[in-house]
Amino acid sequence: MDAINVLLIDDEEAFVTTLQERLELRGLNARVALDGRTGLQMIEADPPDVVVLDLRMPGISGTDVLRRIRAQWPGMPVIMLSGHGSDQDFESCMNLGASVYHKKPLDIAVLLESILSVVQGPVPTL
Amino acid sequence: MTDIAGEARFMGAVTALTMHEMQNILAIIRESAGLMGDILKVNARVDFKHRPNMERTLEHITTHVERGKGLLEATSRLAHSPDDDMLDSCDLAVHARVVALLSERLVRLKGASVNFTPVPAPLPVAVGALRVLMIGYQSVQWAVGSGTKDGHVKVELEPGQDFHIMTVVPPQGVTPDAKALDCIRKLLDDGRLEWDGRMLRIFFPVRK
Repeated sequence: MDAINVLLIDDEEAFVTTLQERLELRGLNARVALDGRTGLQMIEADPPDVVVLDLRMPGISGTDVLRRIRAQWPGMPVIMLSGHGSDQDFESCMNLGASVYHKKPLDIAVLLESILSVVQGPVPTL
Repeated sequence: MTDIAGEARFMGAVTALTMHEMQNILAIIRESAGLMGDILKVNARVDFKHRPNMERTLEHITTHVERGKGLLEATSRLAHSPDDDMLDSCDLAVHARVVALLSERLVRLKGASVNFTPVPAPLPVAVGALRVLMIGYQSVQWAVGSGTKDGHVKVELEPGQDFHIMTVVPPQGVTPDAKALDCIRKLLDDGRLEWDGRMLRIFFPVRK
């Protein structure tokens, strides 16, 4: 079975590149976009199995990226990650069609569980 | 005239933004420690002198990142409490947990600890978030009083029809200061407060 393709969209470079390495150690294919516009271009060029998306970013916000994904790729699972944990943020993301919403920082096991719950794939282990 | 509400909102907005940034910083620390842990794990057969020290240190980082996460979440709730949608009502289940988290340090300084028993369902009350936090925090402050070694302050919740109740149980042997209770009572516009010699029960009207 092919490895799961994950696209990580987050402007916190140190966070997202470390997360990329950790996912790759577990056998996933992880790519990184440091802003929403690049993320959308990468989805267009090579649609991933799942997008892990930061809520607040400079330029196009996470919610706008989510909106555009829903309009163009309605079936694509999107896991929202945010350091901003208000109830309103959670509700608006879920109303826009996010698959899962997590607050940072989070345990990689929890993120993997979410990825597996939205994508059919092999269980990744170290 | 001083616009206290406006100033509180300003302070809350700036604090909330800073707390959110701190959550990003904690996330970077956690992932970096996680990656180091992963590398140690995939190289489990490679033994070196300081492996146990490294593993222990990484465990400390993860534990304290979680601790920091809880405090940041509680501080963010405090910062958001003067927001417009929090002025007249809030979820007592969430804000009682915030009270317990925010008062941990204060209680520890008095040689005690705070135990909070969560409830699974929301408890909507017709009292603003900031008011609930003030009442809860002052009640815990009252409960530890002048300090007691190894005591426990219990914060519990009782759902009800007309009132949801927050119960604060002081450590054994602590007697309430009448003045402190009066201060808490003054914060309760439509609620009431009972002290039965063992526990303080604070009644918050249910949001209909």
